[in-house]
Amino acid sequence: MNALVGLEATPAGGVRVLVSSTDIGQGTNTILSQIAAEALGLEYDDVSMAPADTSTVPNSGPTVASRTAMIIGKIVHTAALKMRQTLTESGLLEPSAGREEFLAACQTYRQRFGELKCFSRYEAAPNIFWNDELYRGEAYPAYAWAVYIAEVTVDTNTYSVTIDDFVALQEIGKVLHPVLATGQIEGGVAQGIGFALYEKVVWNDGKMLNNQMTNYIMPTSEDLPPIRVFFEEMPYQYGPYGAKGIGELPMDGPAPAIVNAIVQATGTSFNAIPLLPEDIFRVLTAEPDRPAEDFFSALAAEGSQ
Amino acid sequence: MSETAASRCEVSFTVNGAARTVSVYPMERLLDVLRNSLGLTGAKEGCGEGECGSCSVLLNGELVNSCLVPVLQAQGAELCTIEGLTPDAGLHPVQQAFLTCGGAQCGICTPGMIMATVQLLRRHPTPTLEQVREGLGGNLCRCTGYTRIFHSVFEVAKTEAEKGGTVA
Ligand code: FES
Ligand code: FES
Repeated sequence: MNALVGLEATPAGGVRVLVSSTDIGQGTNTILSQIAAEALGLEYDDVSMAPADTSTVPNSGPTVASRTAMIIGKIVHTAALKMRQTLTESGLLEPSAGREEFLAACQTYRQRFGELKCFSRYEAAPNIFWNDELYRGEAYPAYAWAVYIAEVTVDTNTYSVTIDDFVALQEIGKVLHPVLATGQIEGGVAQGIGFALYEKVVWNDGKMLNNQMTNYIMPTSEDLPPIRVFFEEMPYQYGPYGAKGIGELPMDGPAPAIVNAIVQATGTSFNAIPLLPEDIFRVLTAEPDRPAEDFFSALAAEGSQ
Repeated sequence: MSETAASRCEVSFTVNGAARTVSVYPMERLLDVLRNSLGLTGAKEGCGEGECGSCSVLLNGELVNSCLVPVLQAQGAELCTIEGLTPDAGLHPVQQAFLTCGGAQCGICTPGMIMATVQLLRRHPTPTLEQVREGLGGNLCRCTGYTRIFHSVFEVAKTEAEKGGTVA
C-alpha cells in the first residue's frame, strides 16, 4: 500500500518526523520518535512529530490495520538512514559520527542548502504483492500471533459470567515500548471482554436503539479481571528493529476464549455474542424440542392458558 | 441567535482559586460554562448524560459530572478542574504517576480520571484494589482496560506515603 514518510531537520536544532499516520492513543508518536532517534543516533527528545496535517506531511496511508508500527515504523527507519546518508555524501558527516556531530551537520546542511528533508516510500517485502488500483492483494507482510486464556465463573442462579483471570501472550516481533505495548494489549482485551459479555447493539429499522452509555454497557473499572500480558519476541526482518503490529489482535482473540470457557463451564455451546445473563439463561433453560428464541413467547402462551 | 440580556444571570464562584463571575443562562451546564465561557477545556464531554465521567470536576471538594450540574448550582461554590490541579511548573503527583505508569492512552478520560483519583486518594490515602475499582467506577475508559490506571493510583499512593504527605 502506497505510503510516503519524511524526516526533516528543524531550525530549532532537532529532527521532525513527517507522517500522516495519526496517534489516537496507541502511542505511535512515541514509537516513531524512538525509531527515528535510534536510527539517527539521537536522544528521544531530539525528535518531534509534525502535526498530522496534510499541508505539512506526506500521505503515509491510513492509520489502520495495525500497520503503523510495522509499516510506517520501517519507512521512518529507512528515511532516517537516508538522512544520515545524505549528510555523509555531502561530506558534512563522518559515517561513525555521534549525536552532536549529526545535529551540527544538519544545521550546516540547512544553512547551505535551505532545508534538509528526506523521504522514503513503502517497499513491499519480497514475495508480497499488493495492487493499489484494485486495492487487492497482500497489504501486510507479517502478522502478530497470540494465545488468550480466560478463566470464568458462570453463576447458575443469575446466569451472569465473571472473568476471574485473563492471560494474553503475544508474539509481536519486537516490543518497542513495553509500557505502551502492554497497555495497548490490556485495553484491547478489555474491549474484547466487552464484546464477549456486555456490548450488545440492538437494531431497529437500521438504527441503533441503545445508543447511550446508559443502555450500551461497556466494562467499567469494577468489571474487569486482572489482565496479565506476556510477550514473545521473534524479530521480523522487514519490521523496524523486528517489530510487527499489535493493535487489533487483542480484540480478536479474547471473546472466543471467553465463550470457550463458558462452553466448558456449562457444557452447552453458544453461537452468538455478547452473552448477557439473559442470553445464557435462554440457552441453558431452552427445552430441546423448542427453539430457543421462542422460549419467552412459549412461556407467555403457557401462562395465558 | 437571539439573546436577551434578561434571560441571562450572573453567577459567581471560585475556579481553581480565582474568583469568577460569569453571565450565563441559569440552566447552562457547568461543563459548557467551564469550557466555553472560561476557556477551561480540560474537562471533556464524553456522553453528556452523566455516564462516563470525562467531565469530572470537584465542586466543594466533591467529584461531580459537570455535564449534569446546572451552572446556577455552582453559585458560591469552590470549583477545581484539571487545570487547577496542575502546578505552574511540572506536574501534579497524580498526573506524574499516570505519565510514568502509562495510565493514559487517547487521553479523553484522563482529566476526569485524574480528578476522580484525587478524590479517591483524599478518602483513602492507601486504597485497596477494591476501593480503587469503586472510586473510579464512574469514569469510563475505552483504551487502557484500567490496569495501568490502577498501577498509576497505587504508584502515587506509594510515593505520597513515602513522602509522608497526602494528595491535596
Ligand atoms: S460527559 Fe459528563 S458524564 Fe459523560
Ligand atoms: S485513555 Fe482513552 S478513554 Fe481512557
